[in-house]
Amino acid sequence: MARHDRRVGYGLPVVLAVALHLAILVASVIRFPEREIEPPSTSIVQATLVSTETTTDRAQRAEEARTRAAARQDEEEAAARAAEEDARQADAEANEAVEEAARQAATEAERQRQAEAEAREAARRAAEEEAARRAEQAEQQAREREEQAERRRQEEAERQRQAEAEAERQAEAEAERQAEAEAERQRQAEAERQRQAEAEAESQRQAEAEAERQRQAEAEAERQRQAEAEAERQRQAEEQARRERERQEAEMQRLIQESEERAANARQASEAANSFINLVRRAVEQAWVIPPNVPDGATADILVRLGPSGELFAATIEQSSGYSAFDRSAIQAVEAAAPFAELRQLPASVQRDYRQFNLRFRPGDIR
Amino acid sequence: MNDSMSIPHLIINASGVVQIVMLILMIGSILSWVVIFQRTFVLRRARKAHRAFEDRFWSGVDLNDLYRETPAEQDTQGAEHVFRAGFREFNRLLAKTRSPQAILEGVQRSMRVAWSREEDRLSLHLVFLATVASASPYIGLFGTVWGIMGSFQSLSMAQQATLSTVAPWIAEALIATAMGLFAAIPAVIFYNRLSAESSRLLGKYEDFAEEFHSILHRNLQGRSDPGAD
Repeated sequence: MARHDRRVGYGLPVVLAVALHLAILVASVIRFPEREIEPPSTSIVQATLVSTETTTDRAQRAEEARTRAAARQDEEEAAARAAEEDARQADAEANEAVEEAARQAATEAERQRQAEAEAREAARRAAEEEAARRAEQAEQQAREREEQAERRRQEEAERQRQAEAEAERQAEAEAERQAEAEAERQRQAEAERQRQAEAEAESQRQAEAEAERQRQAEAEAERQRQAEAEAERQRQAEEQARRERERQEAEMQRLIQESEERAANARQASEAANSFINLVRRAVEQAWVIPPNVPDGATADILVRLGPSGELFAATIEQSSGYSAFDRSAIQAVEAAAPFAELRQLPASVQRDYRQFNLRFRPGDIR
Repeated sequence: MNDSMSIPHLIINASGVVQIVMLILMIGSILSWVVIFQRTFVLRRARKAHRAFEDRFWSGVDLNDLYRETPAEQDTQGAEHVFRAGFREFNRLLAKTRSPQAILEGVQRSMRVAWSREEDRLSLHLVFLATVASASPYIGLFGTVWGIMGSFQSLSMAQQATLSTVAPWIAEALIATAMGLFAAIPAVIFYNRLSAESSRLLGKYEDFAEEFHSILHRNLQGRSDPGAD
């Protein structure tokens, strides 16, 4: 026989029922906000401005200009910061260089001074030594010469003696006198020569010292001049950098102001224009009487030309809807809504742009 | 506006009476669905069991064997219950009386009782479904009327009667009717379906009882000596 545990409990049905209700509840909660989001089309008539390309464009341009200006401003700020940084760095570098140069110059001068002193000392020492050597040499020469002379004299004397021996009586006295004179003369010449050599050495030393001094002085002057020129150049560079920086800043300021001004103008103009267009649209919508039996898709573009104070010059059909009654009703709506005196409240710059515009007429989804 | 018009927001901000009405309707809806599921399962099983029993019964099995195979009285259902009640009565009466008329009457009575019990079992809670189906629209309507009354009362105090001041009240009042219909519509549909199903099953049980009765009658008539076969 079949199974006998046929009693059906209530557990599973309860679970199923509760799950069903929960699912329905969740579905209703989730779906409802989405459905609410759909914008209710309250507008009975949709008359839209078509030639607002200029306005929208203008607004876009203003927007773009604003963003561009902001970007440029940022960029400029960054550039200025960078330039400033650079300048500061250059400044610091220049300062550093100057200091370095000064330090270097100082050390150089010190070194030079020391070197000079040393050189002077050395020169003096060298000169002295030289002089001593010269003197010694001269002395030695003199001595040698003396010796030679002595030798010669001895030889002479020998000769004389020989000659004396040969011709003793002949010219003993004369020879003696002559030899004496000769010796005297030689001695005098010797002394003269020595004196001359000494004087020469002295003069040479003096000249050398003078030349050394002059050279040193010249080098010193040259160095000083170079240092001065360097400092001058640095100062000039610094000056130029500062001038450049100032110029950049001024330029940047000017650009920022310009762009801001432009953006503000564009914004104002677009706001005013939008409000004007809204006013026109509302007025035309209120004045529009839609003829019966017009299909939903029908649209008509009406070209509206305004006078300078907002009066209607002409309303012509730009693009017909194909239904003459519909076109006529649109033109009548524009004529009834005119004049648009609000045009005069627009900024003068955009007034001309709004003297002529298109209105698109499209019946809303009324049944 | 979007937020204030969402359904949970409306339910929470409704007045007390309307909230009670909505609670009652929600409970009724849940209970009616419990009944719907439970009855669906019960009827499907009863249908399957009846088909299996009929196959078994008409397969030419010996009735005594069939009677011995079936479990005790309380566990049997449907046609099996009817068969068992009738066959037991038949056996008992056969031992006590010789009148076929009396035996058949006793068997018929016993089978009618079993059938009646089966009817009671199959149509259990279906009345609740019928009650929910008929009453919940009225309950929801009561909630709506009460809510609109409240909205008009508050409207009389408002300075300006705009649509936006009336709309939330009416929306929350209408939710009660929506819930009443939400509970009533499945209840109506499933009440009709389930009661049709159960009455068809009961008709099958009745047919089976008649057929079984005629079998017993034939047995009694065709036998000269009284005694079970």
